[in-house]
Amino acid sequence: MSTHFLRNWLPALVILALGLGLPLVIESGFQLRLAMLICIYAVFGMGFNMLFGLAGQLSLGQQAFFAIGGYTFALLQIHYAVPWPLAMLAGAVVCAIVSLVIAVPVLRMRSHYLAMATLMFAMIVHDVALRWTAVTGGSSGLQIPSPVLFGVRLGRLEIYYLILAIAVLAFLVQIFIKSTHLGRALEAIKVDETAASSLGIPVNRYKTSIYVLAAVFAAVAGMSFAIVSRSVDPAYSTIGMVVNLLTLTVVGGLGSRIGPFLGAAIVILAPQLLAGLQEYETLIYGVGLLLFIIFVPCGLAGLIERAGGASKAGTAGTALPVGSLPEAKNP
Amino acid sequence: MDAIAILILSGLTNGSVYALVGLSLAMTYNASRVINFAQGDFVMLGAMTTVYFATTMALPMFVSIHLVLLVCAAGGFLIERFAYRPLMARNAQPLTVMIGTLACATIMTGAALLIWGPNQLFVPNTFSLNSISVAGITSTPQQISIIVTFVMLMAGIWFLLYRTRFGLAIRAVGVDPNVSKLMGIRAERVVAFAFVFSAIIGGMAGLLVGPFLGGHVAMGIVLTLKGFMAVILGGMGSPFAAAAGGIVIGLLEAIVAYYGNSFYAEPIIFGLILLTMVVRPAGLLGEWEATR
Repeated sequence: MSTHFLRNWLPALVILALGLGLPLVIESGFQLRLAMLICIYAVFGMGFNMLFGLAGQLSLGQQAFFAIGGYTFALLQIHYAVPWPLAMLAGAVVCAIVSLVIAVPVLRMRSHYLAMATLMFAMIVHDVALRWTAVTGGSSGLQIPSPVLFGVRLGRLEIYYLILAIAVLAFLVQIFIKSTHLGRALEAIKVDETAASSLGIPVNRYKTSIYVLAAVFAAVAGMSFAIVSRSVDPAYSTIGMVVNLLTLTVVGGLGSRIGPFLGAAIVILAPQLLAGLQEYETLIYGVGLLLFIIFVPCGLAGLIERAGGASKAGTAGTALPVGSLPEAKNP
Repeated sequence: MDAIAILILSGLTNGSVYALVGLSLAMTYNASRVINFAQGDFVMLGAMTTVYFATTMALPMFVSIHLVLLVCAAGGFLIERFAYRPLMARNAQPLTVMIGTLACATIMTGAALLIWGPNQLFVPNTFSLNSISVAGITSTPQQISIIVTFVMLMAGIWFLLYRTRFGLAIRAVGVDPNVSKLMGIRAERVVAFAFVFSAIIGGMAGLLVGPFLGGHVAMGIVLTLKGFMAVILGGMGSPFAAAAGGIVIGLLEAIVAYYGNSFYAEPIIFGLILLTMVVRPAGLLGEWEATR
């Protein structure tokens, strides 16, 4: 029970406490914006982490749903004056439907083929966003009215709490999925699809479910991003977006629950910290990333878990066979 | 008739470059099971070092070519030694290794940015850019050299893979790395060779296509993507399938841009590739890798 609490609820509580307390510490709007971006990328990362970390399905096309969600959200508000909570719901539904249609042909493929097919799909979405100027506004994108709730225009702080609430909700959904039959079945599918289906697991249905769920997570992240940046543009679906997504997943820790938050913090904050280096920024970022994944292969979450495991082994004395534990490193 | 010939020629030229990137991706993938995100950046490196040696240092073209290929080979060696090997030694997951090559691509772009700056540079031509007329088709020796280099490389690779002992080792590692190790094949040598060889091919492509594309530090990722497309369309299983995919994409681009709307050429090609994948998930010429 205590390990269950440690794994699931402690990180959630820590994130919630950090998130709620953050506005008391930071004052500038820019810093608050960075905190919001971390939450948004964390949601985006959680979707991918469920799809790849849990079910082993590598998709390089999640940025397509990020963009489709964002554009649906924007278009409904601009042309039909739909209130934003409804537009958000609609954006999620649209992405769910699109991903369901895409899943039928695409999920028959495995490993790198799946990755490439989803990447092609995302490239099509990006091209349409860039070129269908009449609807998407081309490269300049679309402007979104600032969100209003019960007749009151939401301020920066309210928007921050809204994004935080979305991130916490996404985290809870993630924990729920992992603890259900679906989560365990997906882990079986990750290990061996044939074996899983021989155990009576409906492989295709479950793979499709998690793909749709990951798409909805990406859509929610895209729409949150649209609220924060007040606009949508083709940058939502660039290859850079999926590069960020992969980086945050690996840096945070593949398949870990809090990994996406940690990884998102690094992906958002590292360029800010490196910005002072000017022309050296790209080079240092690359070197840093390479060194990080070589020396911290399990990501930040893996590092924390190892430290936790080592201290537990220390307190338990010699009862545990120390040799079976992975070598502990100081964080 | 003349228009079609020009169309095919320009399609073949671009297609050859995509094919070269695609076949180097396939060679690295078959040896190491890694998709090398830095592959397109070797084309960038090839183009940029040509500028450095031939224009900045004003060396003769013949010397420059060798130096360019040497720099690219060194780059490939460094990636294998300082990114691929340490990651494999720590049993990294395939995605982590892929991020590792991505980090290498970022490092190459970052280093190139420091050396050459963010502006587009003119890449000196190896062969003449004066137009010549062969059988009624107007072209330039530089353009023809791309196609000729591609054909010669294909022949060379075929000879290497199917007529030498080392080629047999490469193909064995491609089928099953673990079993080939048990058979006494030094798989790590094959991997190192694949990285260095792919880097040289990339450099050669950059050297030849540079005068047409212009040298820019960020050109790598676009070419990596074109290589991906070639590999997907042709199939990951063999360098020849990937090369065929590249040629088809080059021709498709030229034809769609000419007859259709050039504005929508790109999404149409992506759509066609996606459609192909649905029908034949392992690529048009995919053989043993077909897991569906």
